[in-house]
Amino acid sequence: MNTETFCEAEERRLQKLKNFKLPNYFKKIGAIIVLLSLLLLFSHKLMDFESETFRYILQRTTLIGLLFVALAKEKVEDEMIQSLRTQAFTIAFIAGVLYALVQPLVNYMVFTVLQSEKEPLSDLGDFQVLWFLLTVYIMFFYFLKRRQA
Amino acid sequence: MVFANGLHYVFLFSKTKTSMKNRIKVERAILDITQEDLAKRIGVSRQTINSIEKARYVPSTVLALKLSEVFKKPVNEFFFLEETV
Repeated sequence: MNTETFCEAEERRLQKLKNFKLPNYFKKIGAIIVLLSLLLLFSHKLMDFESETFRYILQRTTLIGLLFVALAKEKVEDEMIQSLRTQAFTIAFIAGVLYALVQPLVNYMVFTVLQSEKEPLSDLGDFQVLWFLLTVYIMFFYFLKRRQA
Repeated sequence: MVFANGLHYVFLFSKTKTSMKNRIKVERAILDITQEDLAKRIGVSRQTINSIEKARYVPSTVLALKLSEVFKKPVNEFFFLEETV
């Protein structure tokens, strides 16, 4: 294999990775997974049966559902949609970092006011940050798309 | 220093913003085709054509050249730069 062909193959693989998207029907599948997971999470809190493992699994399925919605193709995937995705990812990334920095302080203030017995200053869990990031991305993407219409 | 082109004077002494205008709607009307038809011909969504016509989205060079092929005119006959103060 000569150098030029090797470089072309590398470029093709990189393009495939950059342009990776799930088929459009994954949007519906993802939405159903998120709704079911959130429903079970809420009802799990109300039930007598409390299980950390069950809660952990439901949190992961929520994230998977949100990821499916985020990665699903639009019906017509063109350069404008790509540009909107990039803008939405940028906003979501910055918002996610700010959320991770600010939310523990908000929690601290709330716990201090309520005089809760829980530890006041604690880090956010990975689920909260990732859920926030994916939700902000999806919201901004559809907001920007609607704005362009 | 005196500049022959008054626009350079504007550049130096005031804040200007370069925006892009277009005549896509006019060119589309000349060909008597809908936004949907034009979108299909160049391989984008109708929404993209609508956004370009309203100057909300600046297309890539590739897309501009595809439009040039459809309209059979050079790109700078339907895309213009405009300086606003």
